Amino acid sequence: MDFSFSKEQVFFREQFTKTLNEIVAPHAATIDQEDAFPHEIFKKIGNLGYYGMRYPQEIGGMGADCTTFTIFAEELASVSISFAAIATMQCLMGTDFLFRFGNRDIKERVLIPAIRGEKIGTIAFTEPDCGSDLGAIKTRAIKKGDVYILKGRKLWITNAEVADFVTVVASVEPAKRINGLAFFLVEKGTPGFYTGQKIEKMSARGSVTGELIFDECTIPASNLLGEEGKGAQYLESILSEIRVMIAGLGIGLAKSAYRSAVMYSKQREAFGRSIGNFQLIQDKIAEMETRIRSAWLLTYYAAWLKDNGKQAKKEAAMAKLYSTETASFVVDQATRIYGSYGIAHEYPVERYFRDARFLLFGGGTSEILKTLIARECLKT
Amino acid sequence: MNILVFIKQVADTEARILIKGDNRSLEIENKYNLNFFDEFAVEEAIRFKGKVKDSKISVCTYGGKKAVEALRTAIAMGADQAYLIDNTDLDTDDPLITAKILAGFAKKEGFDLILCGRQAIDDENGNIGAMVAEFLKIPHVTAITKLDVVDEKKIIVENDIEGGKETKEVQLPALLTTQKGINEPRVPLITGVMKAMKANIPVIDPVTLGLAKESLDRNASKIKILSYETPKGRPPVKIIDGETPEEKVKKLIKLLREEAKVL
Repeated sequence: MDFSFSKEQVFFREQFTKTLNEIVAPHAATIDQEDAFPHEIFKKIGNLGYYGMRYPQEIGGMGADCTTFTIFAEELASVSISFAAIATMQCLMGTDFLFRFGNRDIKERVLIPAIRGEKIGTIAFTEPDCGSDLGAIKTRAIKKGDVYILKGRKLWITNAEVADFVTVVASVEPAKRINGLAFFLVEKGTPGFYTGQKIEKMSARGSVTGELIFDECTIPASNLLGEEGKGAQYLESILSEIRVMIAGLGIGLAKSAYRSAVMYSKQREAFGRSIGNFQLIQDKIAEMETRIRSAWLLTYYAAWLKDNGKQAKKEAAMAKLYSTETASFVVDQATRIYGSYGIAHEYPVERYFRDARFLLFGGGTSEILKTLIARECLKT
Repeated sequence: MNILVFIKQVADTEARILIKGDNRSLEIENKYNLNFFDEFAVEEAIRFKGKVKDSKISVCTYGGKKAVEALRTAIAMGADQAYLIDNTDLDTDDPLITAKILAGFAKKEGFDLILCGRQAIDDENGNIGAMVAEFLKIPHVTAITKLDVVDEKKIIVENDIEGGKETKEVQLPALLTTQKGINEPRVPLITGVMKAMKANIPVIDPVTLGLAKESLDRNASKIKILSYETPKGRPPVKIIDGETPEEKVKKLIKLLREEAKVL
């Protein structure tokens, strides 16, 4: 067994951390405060080529494996969950179906500029009344000659008000429920495509979340990504990767909160000693570090399985579940160590505390993931 | 044109540094970076390459195996090739020996222009560049803040002097050391990072550079480090109490006179 990263992966982490410290870290608190999409930072990271890291070199990518992509997510989250949400959307969910199913025109006009950070992408699954239950999707796509007409509402959409293009999941045959779904590309400016309300939220602020409305939105039939009825199948094929990536976000956030807490435990004095000398504080530190390390092992194990072409469905779900719950646990403990300062905007742990909640839902809630894990366990 | 850039890997400014029991060696936390002033040298080499056709940038360092990371950073930024001169068997405290080795490498590799940072931020010697130039018998200008290409044989450089700037015309080949302000070092593109991740970096044994081993080892050193000391801790802050501001000021002045002896 070998638990070490390759030299290349170590080098990538170092370089990316430096880049983030220079470009993103100085603005992390402001992105959160202002809750506005950080256009300039988004472009800067895009110009460096990071949004293409999962894609082949021919289209400006890096051809990174799942492990390297998880490192990417981890480092992003340790600096800013807001920007991490934006960047991972651009790298994975927001562009993946264009890469896999888009025709040449779509790739040249939309995907490649997106990889360069010139266009903002997103994906739209969730609706006001449906999240995990994809079979209940109400947005309809009806084919008429050489166009599709989309009708419906999507909610909780990352980057909603700023997205230049969106991959929309709609039903072509509602009776078939989950087997009647298909993916469509809709670009900004398409008649019948509007942005609705913005959701004011406490986590991942700056990755502006909101509503998209499709009111007789007409798109060319060539904007169908893949085949009708296979939407759920396509989603399933990247779900493990999404879950490992979110697990990476959990580790990154937890590590930042943990580091702050350890530093504070050494600095803050009470009863004539630094509070790190007290056993109840030590208990928190030991619990935090042990859980982070466990989440780390589970997450990179799942990434390793994927990189070695092995089945990782259960492991990815466990990694996402455990890592994001760990992040929630760690931010709670860290803010307790900070005492009253833990709820002050002045300290980043307060932001970490709010941001941890963001990780609990996308990619499957903890409850859904437990169901899935148990189902896998009971199979054998 | 062959552009050589000499760089150094140094401890991060935030790395924890402890003096070992012997008082002559240091224990440094595993956080290292490409030397601050060398980043300007790498960046300037890349810009120079953009101005002069068919230029090639080789970066080189004399250091331990770990220093390969700093070389990879230079490749990620845009250098073409990197070389590590391995100091494992020859670790020396004497910059003169380092300069001799780097000059040996330059002679072997060939060059039209050599760039390096004005100093390393760890030992702050600031003399390697000038000594390499002397060994190579070429002109050098230190701490430049501007570099303009006239043609393949001539450049114009600027450096800060007391109260102003000095502009010099320099014949190539020459060695220049870079000062803060000359440029804004770039953040590497992901394609650069990938290139660096995969780059094959040859490791060179210093004795293959035409230099006798006896002239390079610790015994040949003309400088020996006798001891390291940490800066003295600051005395605790003294809070001056008193009933009224006037009274506090009086006490303060008394202390400044009698204790601090600054008045």
